[in-house]
Amino acid sequence: MELRKALYNISALADLGTEITAEKNFQEKLGSLLHVVLGTFLAGKGAIAYREKPECGVSFVARKGFDDLSVADIDLGPLLAAGRNRPYRPAGNKALVSAGVEVITPLWDRNDFIGFVLLGKKFTAAQYTEDDLEILGMIAHQIAITLKNHALFHHVTEQLEENRKLYEEMRRIYHDTLQAFAAAIDAKDVYTKHHSQRVAKYSVAIARELGWSEHDIEGIYVAGFLHDVGKLVISNEILNKKTPFTPDEMKEIRRHSLLSYKIISQIKFPWKEVEKIVKHHHERLDGTGYPDALSKEDLSEGAKILTLADSFDAMTSERAYRKKMDVRKALAELKDCLHKQFDDKILLAFCKVLDKEIRGELPEPDILPHIDRGSDLSVISALLEGIIEELSGNDREG
Amino acid sequence: MTISPFQVTSRLVRDVAIVYPRGYLNNLSGEGLVNECGKHARAGMKKIVVNFRETDLINSIGISFLLNVMEDLQTCGGTLCFTEMKKVHLDTFEMLGLTKYFLFFPDEEATLQALRTQGG
Repeated sequence: MELRKALYNISALADLGTEITAEKNFQEKLGSLLHVVLGTFLAGKGAIAYREKPECGVSFVARKGFDDLSVADIDLGPLLAAGRNRPYRPAGNKALVSAGVEVITPLWDRNDFIGFVLLGKKFTAAQYTEDDLEILGMIAHQIAITLKNHALFHHVTEQLEENRKLYEEMRRIYHDTLQAFAAAIDAKDVYTKHHSQRVAKYSVAIARELGWSEHDIEGIYVAGFLHDVGKLVISNEILNKKTPFTPDEMKEIRRHSLLSYKIISQIKFPWKEVEKIVKHHHERLDGTGYPDALSKEDLSEGAKILTLADSFDAMTSERAYRKKMDVRKALAELKDCLHKQFDDKILLAFCKVLDKEIRGELPEPDILPHIDRGSDLSVISALLEGIIEELSGNDREG
Repeated sequence: MTISPFQVTSRLVRDVAIVYPRGYLNNLSGEGLVNECGKHARAGMKKIVVNFRETDLINSIGISFLLNVMEDLQTCGGTLCFTEMKKVHLDTFEMLGLTKYFLFFPDEEATLQALRTQGG
């Protein structure tokens, strides 16, 4: 019989382990743990009380019976003074005795008081033996660890959520700052209002069509916003000049991409090559661009995207010295400048995006809203289809 | 170990409710057994038979629920019978001192016969 009892106790400890590691929600787990204790000691009533943080109060988290017992009625003094995870008979505690509590066990994990377990009298009316109390102590320790782990997990989850909110807030502030910068840049030149924002949007649309990761897309979005930041250093007289630039003025204007690079190089971006993309947005594939006269092989895909996005917006916007082009003309111009100025892969992606936007396949279009309302979309669509077909053929060949 | 979902069904034979727990009586779904027995007790059935033919495992949680059933039957002055229980489970109940709270019969027929003799 002793052996059978020992086996039962061992299997109860195994049940406890199973329930502790089971994939259940916390409340269900506590319910199961309580039933393991009740079943092990044949107690008709029982309860588990828990304190998640030292500054919180203790409250019942699982109970069977003891419905009228309130934690507030329990004098925690003797409980805290008792041995850690050591069950005892609460003879001096009136509230517990009158509620029918036979055994109380304070739950501790190292130096942290976590709560307590209450047990009522045994169903068989037998007394709790010293062996029972020994085993209950072991079970209580395991329950204490489970509760503590839950508290730690909850704490970590809260911290994560707080960090996520902080990150989102910082990200929002960062983007607001970017937009403010872009507005300052664009305000320098009355003809380039919202230019930076549009270039950022077009660049994002192309990068997404090319299958870039969301992280890298955010990088080119930032590059789009800041690509003309160097213009802040160029005088307003030159930027808003209505007559053709003199060679010196042109030289001054061309400084802006290098100035942009120098300004944003001071910022440590989490995205790769933002400053290089910005620096090279006036480079050309044929090596005649500025500031470094790089050729196709030396230019990153990001720089090629920004170049096309910048040029398309410049073409389709009014300037002091010329009228804006309609989209058909701008597309023809982009196509004419393939291989010299623009990369065919980038133009293909741009045309595909615009085509999808016209067909209504993209829920939040980036390019279409900025196209003249009077434009004949069916004509643009036909033009796009032609370019896509031609460049897709090139793509397959090359 | 694959845990099969725990199910409870029951049927009435005259004034006797026979309850059939199926699966492993080892988790909170065992509450269904308590509810099923309680349902019959509340309906005035004083003789409840639990047939363990399809119960493979009873652990400490299962014992806790069975204590509930025993207590309910004690409270209403009813008779609780267990039948077709595996020897290992019966030995456990014996070791725990619980066999005085229910009658045990090897099969359902013997249980119903005994309850008929008991009358009431």
